Amino acid sequence: MALSLRSGYRKIWQTLSSIKTGVVLIILVVIFSAAGTVILQRPMTEPDDMQRAYSPQMLRILDITGLTDVFHARWFVSLLVLVSLSIIAASVQRFPNSWRYFARPYKSPDENFRRVLPTQAQIPIADEEQGLGAAEHALRHLGLRSERIVRTRSFSLFAERNRISEMAVYIVHASLLLIFLGGIVDALYGWHGFLTLTPGSQSNEVALRSGAVKSMPFAVRCDSTGEETYTDGTPKRWWSKLAVVDQGREVERKEIVVNDPLVYAGLRFYQASYGSTGKLDRLILTANPTSGTGGAREISLALNQTVVLDADTSVQLAEFIPDYVVQDGRVYARSNDVVNPAAHLIVTSQKAGTKASVNVWLPEIPGFAENASSPYTFQPRDLKTVNYTGLQVSHEPGQWAVWAGVILMGIGLTCVFYMVHMRFWAIPTLDSRGHMVLWIGGTANRNRDAFEQKFQKLVEEIKKELKPQLVVSAPTQTATFAGK
Amino acid sequence: MARARAEQHPATGTTLIVMVGLSIAFLLFIAFLNVVKTGSLLTEANLLYAALIFYAGAGALYLGFGVTATDSYIKFASLATWAGLLANTAAVAHRWYEAGHPPFASVYEMLLSFVWTLAALTLVAEKLYGVKVIGTVTMPVAIVGVVLMQLLPSEVRPLVPALQSTWLHVHVTLAMLAYAACALSFALAMMFLIQDKVKTELFLVGTSLFSVGIYAGVLTRFEKWGGLSVVAWDAENKSEMFLSRGVRLLVTIPDLGWMMLLVFAAVAAPLVLYILARLRSDESFINVANRAVFIGILLQSLALIFFLLRARDGHYASLDAEGLYPTSLAASPFILSGLIGGIFASLLYLLLLWRREDLERLLPDAEALDRITYKTICIAFPLLTLMIAAGAYWANRAWGSYWNWDPKETWAAITWLVYAGYLHMRITRGWRGRRAAYFAILGFAVVMFTFFGVTYLLPGLHAYA
Repeated sequence: MALSLRSGYRKIWQTLSSIKTGVVLIILVVIFSAAGTVILQRPMTEPDDMQRAYSPQMLRILDITGLTDVFHARWFVSLLVLVSLSIIAASVQRFPNSWRYFARPYKSPDENFRRVLPTQAQIPIADEEQGLGAAEHALRHLGLRSERIVRTRSFSLFAERNRISEMAVYIVHASLLLIFLGGIVDALYGWHGFLTLTPGSQSNEVALRSGAVKSMPFAVRCDSTGEETYTDGTPKRWWSKLAVVDQGREVERKEIVVNDPLVYAGLRFYQASYGSTGKLDRLILTANPTSGTGGAREISLALNQTVVLDADTSVQLAEFIPDYVVQDGRVYARSNDVVNPAAHLIVTSQKAGTKASVNVWLPEIPGFAENASSPYTFQPRDLKTVNYTGLQVSHEPGQWAVWAGVILMGIGLTCVFYMVHMRFWAIPTLDSRGHMVLWIGGTANRNRDAFEQKFQKLVEEIKKELKPQLVVSAPTQTATFAGK
Repeated sequence: MARARAEQHPATGTTLIVMVGLSIAFLLFIAFLNVVKTGSLLTEANLLYAALIFYAGAGALYLGFGVTATDSYIKFASLATWAGLLANTAAVAHRWYEAGHPPFASVYEMLLSFVWTLAALTLVAEKLYGVKVIGTVTMPVAIVGVVLMQLLPSEVRPLVPALQSTWLHVHVTLAMLAYAACALSFALAMMFLIQDKVKTELFLVGTSLFSVGIYAGVLTRFEKWGGLSVVAWDAENKSEMFLSRGVRLLVTIPDLGWMMLLVFAAVAAPLVLYILARLRSDESFINVANRAVFIGILLQSLALIFFLLRARDGHYASLDAEGLYPTSLAASPFILSGLIGGIFASLLYLLLLWRREDLERLLPDAEALDRITYKTICIAFPLLTLMIAAGAYWANRAWGSYWNWDPKETWAAITWLVYAGYLHMRITRGWRGRRAAYFAILGFAVVMFTFFGVTYLLPGLHAYA
């Protein structure tokens, strides 16, 4: 029983670690992600649009299978987890072999190895020392430091470069897992929400996408916000001056713009939207006396504010309606967008002890306005409304794993594609006719044709090193070596 | 061999060069007269026009080389490409200076950069890898690109807040480089297949599938009563018209849908005939299929002409709103490039059909092509990775999340997975030759879909391009 359990376990492990499984899983991920881009997705698409696009039965099937929110469906997440497991299994299975290769490099080539190695050459030499010295020299020319390997029955040379490239694949796989890990952490513990602030207000409550409200341990205050536009009216810049208020103290200030968020205690505040609340900040008017003395003057009014115009007259801003409509004998606000504004002013005059109030409407709404009987006429000059800033708030504790994974992947891919692990061996030996030769061999783990050329260059270099020494006598040779 | 041919027909060799040279000189002269009239020499439009003339000359010479294999054509073709690239570089520089940011912010600017990259890569492939015939493919694409640019709104538009980031440039530069490398790997894989003695019929199938894909894409806009919907175009503001935020206003050109349906049937015919030939093992169907390609080209050209005539200017009714609305070619760049691309692919097939032996002689050997394809993907894959990473980092700064499963993002990830699959099969399973070449072609098809298809067919955050 225990045995069959273990063999079952082994079978699962083998299936998981096979490259075939990996490829099948990748194909499944590709198919379902593609489906997720073609089928309308739930939170982004309005329910009305979904109903318009699909028939009720179709929609029900899509909803049940999770195809209307593929990327958050359980089975899709499970698929991604399976991919991760497959990467882990494949790496774990192949790792020990590579590690042995990496940790204990093969330095002294034996006879069998020498026979089968595809890239090799033999150069006749006078003695062991001369051959090895020349090889050492030539390798140094190629920028490789060589190592003398002494074994009981042989004396040889080994040189290599970029051994790390053998492990690069594991770096890439590990980086991918790190990115997945970050994604999983964010899916479990991260959240995204929205916070709307008007200048001067502060809040610590974020409306989450799910509709719930999240309380932050600190509050964010908006000091001011604004928009700059290009001459053609397209938005150029939205900005908000924010302050973080933690336990009653202001701890941080920053002016945020799109592409430059405020970061505090692991939360990020993005400039996401900007607009008008429809509430009035200030109304600028020119007031002209209808009769007699005094010129026009400019006045600025906030809601319910009263300004004295002359000794007897004052004006108060009683109402501001951003988008007015007249219905059933009343003035209503249709929306909060400042598209069709109306202002209600009350002009109060005090003449000979009697107080008289006149309702002035801008624009003049028939039935309400008594503009004609006002001692002043008013022309609207400018309208400043209270604007809000919409902040997107996000908490992504896993993003550091993602960025670390990205950097690691960059390093890993550089090692995989641009670092070639090349190895050279040189060993003095006897050829088939009993002459002493220097056997030289080399391998590279990729880009073999370029390596072939490099190897030829090395052989030429060694031959060149050997040439002058072949003509000169033995004592000078030793002197040369001593000199080096 | 090539030399022998050239000596056999010395007249044709010089005739084409002289003709192309004279045409270039004539066109430049005409352009110069215009310049004298307006008084401004180094404007972007003039530079682009010069680039177009040189690219067209180079394209003619490269094609001449593809057909006749006269070596001297290549020299002059390279020269013309260099000249075109110079003018193109000046246009890019001019644009950059005018706009104050690198030209990546609109479809027009992307095309400007893309054509530049394409011309540069052509010269690189020619000089470094000795793939001389590649200009036959890339130059016509460059010409189509420059022509398209003439139609698109070209004035410098200010950057909307989300695009005001250094990461825009990093992201888009990487995307351009990665996609260009993918395109190169595709062309090399195709050449490998030619050199690897893949049957011409398979290219027939590929060409047919490509055209069928294009017309199927176009026919997603097929409307009731056989109309074809295109985006309405506001000529004054040079922009698309919108019904509401993010929803484009579509107008229906009557009867054009039928035309497209007919062409769809025509380009699908070779595919059907091929399947019939396979099922009945009757080779005579293949000959019919080759003739069907001919008819397909004629009908495709007809469709293009009709489309040009009807969509260029005109007011059409819309299904979603009352009244007539204008449209313009600039409103449908993807349909236009699709139609031209289909004709171009069929022409390439005919070139292969007639001149296969010449092509085989001109190309490097199969093994070298296979190796270069792999190397190109080894360059493309890290670039793709970095492009996605830069995009994610930028999205995190601008939208508040590094991954939104937006269609463009998802398809970029799919592209990445396909190439990752290629690399795994090649490295661990030793996939070489044909299977690897098919994989490279599939990868590029996905790249093209990510680049054009997603923008055109699927909605999402990547609304700029």
